Amino acid sequence: MTSTSQLGSLLAAEEDKLLACVHCGLCLEACPTYVATGDENDSPRGRIYLMRAVEEGRLERTSRTFERHLNRCLGCRACEMACPAGVQYGQLLEAGRAELFRTKERRGWTNRTLRFVLRHVWLHPKRLRMAFGFARILRDMGIVRLLIKSRVPRMISGRAEFALALLESSSSDKLTKSVGAQQSVKATRREAHDVRQSKALLFTGCVTEGLFARVNRATRRVLEVNGCKVNAPEEQVCCGALHAHAGDLEGARHLARRNIVAFDNDEEIAIVTNAGGCGAMFLSYEHLLADDPEFSERARKFSARVRDIGQQLETTGVRASSALVDEKLTTYDTSCHLLYGQRAADASLKLMLSVPDIRFVPLVGSEVCCGGAGVYNLLETELSSRVLDEKLNHVEETKAETIATGNPGCHMQIGAGLLLKEKKVRVCHPVELLDESYERAGFYEKPK
Amino acid sequence: MDSVIKNFQAIVGRDNVLSEPDELLVYECDGLPQHKHRPRAVIFPRSTEEVSEVMRMLARERIPFSPRGAGTGLSGGALALGEGVVIELARMRRLLKLDAENRLAVVETGIVNSHVSRAAAPLNLHYVPDPSSQPTCTIGGNLAENSGGIHCLKYGVTVDHVMAARVVLSGGEVVDLEETGTGLPGYDLLGVFIGSEGTFGIATEATLRLVPLPQSVRTLLADFTDVMDASRAVSEIIAAGIVPAALEMMDGAIIRAIESTTFSAGIPQDAEAALLLELDGLEAGLGEEAERAEAILRKHGARAVRRAKDEAERKRLWAARKGAFGVMGRISPDTMIQDAVVPRSRLPEILAASYRIGTKYGLRVANVFHAGDGNLHPFICFDSRHPDEVLRVKEAGRELMETCVRAGGSITGEHGVGLDKSDYLPLIFNADDMDAMLRVRAAFDPTGLCNPGKIIPTLRGCGEAQTRRRGEKERSRLVLSPCPRVSASPRLFFPASPRLSSASARPSSNIESSSSKSNLDAMRRTLCGIAGEENVNNEVEPSLVVSPSSADEACEVLKFAALEGLTVMPAGAMSWPYAGNPLRRCDIIISARRMNRIIEHEPADLIAVAEAGARLSDLNERLNGSGQWLALDPPGDANETVGGVAATGLAGALSVGYGSPRNHVIGMRVALADGRVIKSGGRVVKNVAGYDLCKLFIGSYGTLGLILELAFKLRPRPARTATVILSAEQAALWQCSRSILAAHLLPVAFEIVSENLAQSFGVEAEANSRALLVRFAGNEEAVSYQTMKVRELAGRERIFSVVETDDEKLWRMIAAMPMKDKQHLVWRVKVRLTDLRAFIDEAMKKEALFSNARWHACVADGRLRVASTETNEVEAAIASLTRLRNTAKKLGGALVIEQAPTEIKNAVDAWGALGAKAELMRRIKAELDPKNILSPGRF
Repeated sequence: MTSTSQLGSLLAAEEDKLLACVHCGLCLEACPTYVATGDENDSPRGRIYLMRAVEEGRLERTSRTFERHLNRCLGCRACEMACPAGVQYGQLLEAGRAELFRTKERRGWTNRTLRFVLRHVWLHPKRLRMAFGFARILRDMGIVRLLIKSRVPRMISGRAEFALALLESSSSDKLTKSVGAQQSVKATRREAHDVRQSKALLFTGCVTEGLFARVNRATRRVLEVNGCKVNAPEEQVCCGALHAHAGDLEGARHLARRNIVAFDNDEEIAIVTNAGGCGAMFLSYEHLLADDPEFSERARKFSARVRDIGQQLETTGVRASSALVDEKLTTYDTSCHLLYGQRAADASLKLMLSVPDIRFVPLVGSEVCCGGAGVYNLLETELSSRVLDEKLNHVEETKAETIATGNPGCHMQIGAGLLLKEKKVRVCHPVELLDESYERAGFYEKPK
Repeated sequence: MDSVIKNFQAIVGRDNVLSEPDELLVYECDGLPQHKHRPRAVIFPRSTEEVSEVMRMLARERIPFSPRGAGTGLSGGALALGEGVVIELARMRRLLKLDAENRLAVVETGIVNSHVSRAAAPLNLHYVPDPSSQPTCTIGGNLAENSGGIHCLKYGVTVDHVMAARVVLSGGEVVDLEETGTGLPGYDLLGVFIGSEGTFGIATEATLRLVPLPQSVRTLLADFTDVMDASRAVSEIIAAGIVPAALEMMDGAIIRAIESTTFSAGIPQDAEAALLLELDGLEAGLGEEAERAEAILRKHGARAVRRAKDEAERKRLWAARKGAFGVMGRISPDTMIQDAVVPRSRLPEILAASYRIGTKYGLRVANVFHAGDGNLHPFICFDSRHPDEVLRVKEAGRELMETCVRAGGSITGEHGVGLDKSDYLPLIFNADDMDAMLRVRAAFDPTGLCNPGKIIPTLRGCGEAQTRRRGEKERSRLVLSPCPRVSASPRLFFPASPRLSSASARPSSNIESSSSKSNLDAMRRTLCGIAGEENVNNEVEPSLVVSPSSADEACEVLKFAALEGLTVMPAGAMSWPYAGNPLRRCDIIISARRMNRIIEHEPADLIAVAEAGARLSDLNERLNGSGQWLALDPPGDANETVGGVAATGLAGALSVGYGSPRNHVIGMRVALADGRVIKSGGRVVKNVAGYDLCKLFIGSYGTLGLILELAFKLRPRPARTATVILSAEQAALWQCSRSILAAHLLPVAFEIVSENLAQSFGVEAEANSRALLVRFAGNEEAVSYQTMKVRELAGRERIFSVVETDDEKLWRMIAAMPMKDKQHLVWRVKVRLTDLRAFIDEAMKKEALFSNARWHACVADGRLRVASTETNEVEAAIASLTRLRNTAKKLGGALVIEQAPTEIKNAVDAWGALGAKAELMRRIKAELDPKNILSPGRF
């Protein structure tokens, strides 16, 4: 099948599968961009209408409206949950964006840059590691912080400042003593009798490993404490979510095939993710490679093995630990892809609440996107910040000092927002909190 | 065109106008994508001022416009026809005020329905109307469509829950419209505006009534193997006197579709029908009611009756029901949704007919509907990719609609007529009915630019029809030009206006056509010819009173009067003939007292139809036999006729529990000034076909038409009533009334009464004290729980209380208070509840004249009625009333003089200044009664 008719055939398939949009509008208020603008063009119903119009030839494929409003979609897929007709909006969006990706005309420099980076950095693990290494140096030497404080980036553009804030917000929290990088699980704890022994393959993820290696270490330790032998295949690459969301389906497929091969050693072993974006992407490999005769079946099996760390711990059970040192008021923001894509948000929150005596306060609008959405915050900075402001207001209402979320994109987005507003709230992954409580319970030891 | 867009941008800013053709594409349809019209531009105003300015400009440029909210409407109402623009209110979504004590919310109309309830939830209050699109639809859209929803069976529709609206008319005038039933003066313009589908103007702000969240809820799900069994169960539940908060039905096809989605609620997939029944209220007595309902469900063959065990399960059941519309996408590529209403008792046959019609046209029909209201939503499945199916679905839809109309139903219960159903409108309304509607529309929108092409078919895309309308308007204006405006002092033209109340003083020189004795004789002869000699008299000199026995005779009289240029005052039992300002002229009084038949009563439908002259007490006596009643107790001496009650629109003490006449009338037949008879509404409890002109006639005091026949929504008679009487000095009583309100009990009447009034019906009240009366109605358990609770609250404040279980007489006396003597001075005030006490203190303490007056005031909604006997001090009374009226005005309320000696009436306007409403009232009067024949000068 040529990708020319991808959108058309998908729309037709939706109709045949009887999963077609009936135009009822129940998705409108679920959509953060519609809530922010009140413009039907920025709603799921409106975007589907535009896609249909393109297919029916009532709207030019090159229409600026089509491009603008498809690009303004966060891709959070909250509309899918609200949709009574079961429209698979995420798939339609990707097909729509693929349509745009092929169109060469009228593309601004941001899109050109994005395209270049996705093609020439992200598809090459070595270059990608170098890029993240460079970013870490800037971050850990305090250069980024200095730059933000100097207000020079703000003078250049809000976007430049926000980009730096995103990077800075990924650094580990100085206020909290997190578990040291070198600590490992005591052997006695690892082989405790009361936990079932199991195995897991850890997906480390490009951004997580590049900027949040501590989350991967925490994930490993927590899994081990709960009797899970963890292995992270060497050959794994980026999940391809950024490519898929940008409409570069070929790039996404390339990465998908490589990951399938990398994790192909044992069909029984769960693939554990700790980033909602990656997890949701893994689940969509099945759909992404449905037309690839060689990989379609393998993709289906691959997708079936994917679990978020929260879901994995539900299968192993969570060992009791002890309370955190400082009982900070803690809230939880649901990553959209964890919720709407992976449908694993409950498990993720449950993981966090398994920390004894945690002082939890629910976040109003937790199920609403924070506006991060991959690189959306750098492409549609203005709309993104409006969506983020809403989120930050709700965070402030909770008076929480810690906010946990299960996706690095959300982590950086909320962190950057808090940083620029000079709010002292710690952002972390829920598994980090459990990890800290395990450390306090004496499950870990420093290497001799 | 370009310059026009620039002008819009200048008003609302560049970012708030869409004008690129591609971006306008998504605005070509609303929730019903079969109809498509791309607008010329979409404008997003952010304030009332901007709306007004935009509309002023549109009028200048003569560009038609259509208001739009979330675009979830199902009648094509938000489409801009004829090169029009869309005014989109989605950026006006602020909650302006939340007032727990007065139980109201002030909102911008672009706010989403469910957001209002969400905001009010911490106060333990909510906004009741809950259409299925509630998570997305806007309050503005709800106002336009008069939306119903799942809980309207017990609580009523949008019009019953909106207290005021700020409306921008075409041309940019801003008018504040208020609910009139509780005592504010003037026509019920708000009532007729709601449901006008954007053809009268644009509401930009609304004041919404909030009610306490029910203390307890029981949600029952019953599944049946036969859809007919389920619909019979519905009829019996209603006839048994149970008023469910909601009673919904889904058929097998819908159940299976829902169960295959995320909305799955665990309804057995092999069921052919499921009933979802919700009872709410106080915990006390609810269990018993649920058991009764369950027994009826089982009796009619329910396989299982499941009770939602917690809030989560209840929510899941309702989400399943509310998702039904979207779920249809899973059954069929396209569906046509209908919105017919039939009398409840006809549901089984209509359901059968719907499936039969489906079979006939080879199309699948699925039904999901508000069974309690008789409001069906048949979905007819088709595939728009097959042109043949499209034709068949249209045929089938029409046939189904005709079947419903034949069964006494209406073409739309909540979706509105819009563009989609305007072809059906002639099925239920004739040319005269629609002409009256068009006249009212022209009064609101003389420019014809407000959402043209909707509702009334003749206007569709037809410039000619519009021109004709405008031509007619001009003519009627000419006729009317010498008429004084309503707001200006009516006495300018007839300075020595005679008063009906002083029969002797009427100088005949004011009457042109009947000035001479011979004319009077000729008039009498004609009237006798029409109604018979014994039915014409001159009991109210110098007018002739004629009592026709039928609508035909009444119309003959009207036609005669129109021909001869005689003025007519419609009357009932003539309890309140002197209401309002003194009439400028009154040649003939038509009394409806002989038109007193009770035409129809169907217990399973909870409706009754009666002629206007039927006495309320007679009607209720008749209904008593089947355990039902018309829950009204207007001021009166038990002689009042239902027509009179409607014409005054006045509520009594029971309005706390049941609402005022405007909430009970579902249809009427009215004779207009020229003798033509029109119909409005119908005989079904939920109906949004055409404009609700009933609202306009209710409270119009016989100035717009002669009401001939009324259809009422009834209530089951409560098993028991009881009134707790509390007596104490007033500060303590006020305090106690607040704690009773805060306890969120469900009183049906709640009044504080003056000491002398309390004494007059035998309540022992000490000097300087007041009595507080709280009335409850319901089953044994609910009533005794509430009376006990009130006594407990009273006891805590050391207030003496007694319970009166035989309380009918007591409340009759309160209702009769203003009726004692026609020379008394009676006036009423409506202010916000929180201002009531201050107002009463001011009136009774500062105004010496009223220190001994008898009065009663509703402590649940801020109504006060005062009657005093010392009326010889005319000057002092005038001064007092003027001062008090100013005070009321300052508090945002109004003072109305209901009855007064003529000297006072001549000096003080009965209604007070009506503000911007006056012009609208004048235009409506001019449209419906261009020769100013009916009760001239009353407003």
